[in-house]
Amino acid sequence: MKRVYRFMLLLYPRGHRDQFAEEMASVFEQASAERRAEDWAWYVRFTFSEMAGLIAGAAIAWLAERPTAEAPVASALPPELIDAQRLVDVNIAGMVHAIANHQFEKARVHSDQERLARENLRMLREKYGIGG
Amino acid sequence: MRHVVPKVTPEVKPLTEPVLLILTSLADQPRHGYALLKDIEWLSGGRVRMSTGTLFGALRRLLEEGWIERFELEDTSRQKQAYRLAAAGRKQLQLELDRMRQLTRAGFARLRAGEAV
Repeated sequence: MKRVYRFMLLLYPRGHRDQFAEEMASVFEQASAERRAEDWAWYVRFTFSEMAGLIAGAAIAWLAERPTAEAPVASALPPELIDAQRLVDVNIAGMVHAIANHQFEKARVHSDQERLARENLRMLREKYGIGG
Repeated sequence: MRHVVPKVTPEVKPLTEPVLLILTSLADQPRHGYALLKDIEWLSGGRVRMSTGTLFGALRRLLEEGWIERFELEDTSRQKQAYRLAAAGRKQLQLELDRMRQLTRAGFARLRAGEAV
């Protein structure tokens, strides 16, 4: 279960992971041990609640990372930058879908591709002098 | 019938339940993540068992708002990162509790008025 939890932390944006992943995993492990000792039914409920909480939390974290209103509107952006952003979004959607379907290898591939796509996006933003 | 008119404070937005519980939990002392989860469960009479996703999502927003602060615990416990209430967070909690007190007074006054009819 710990491994699944740690894997699902990949759903979060890198900034959130760098800041909280270790701490989240540690808190999960403590809470998990306590719930398991309480009652099996409670533990199952706890596990589902944790997984749902991670998916919802990751979605909110990604929404919070979206460019603000001060950023240029999409139509004003260079096409290669729009494509790069799309590639990031596609890989995030793929990762969420794969994890929801317990396809963890596929999710890892999407996670790796998302990291590359995000790095590419960062370089393109630098090239065009666009923040966010 | 006597009405209790709540004072209008438009700049105060109601806090979400997770945020209210976290700020309340940190009001008397700093706590690390697991201690927060346990204390929130106790504060809510066992009603709220917050998931780690919800807890850390709220903690991140509170850190960004400057309502709480992160610091390193000096003890040798498993978790060294802890959180404490910042001055801005204390003020927000105070405003929210005042708002709730006004609402509670108004609510009980209306219940009494309804029973008297």
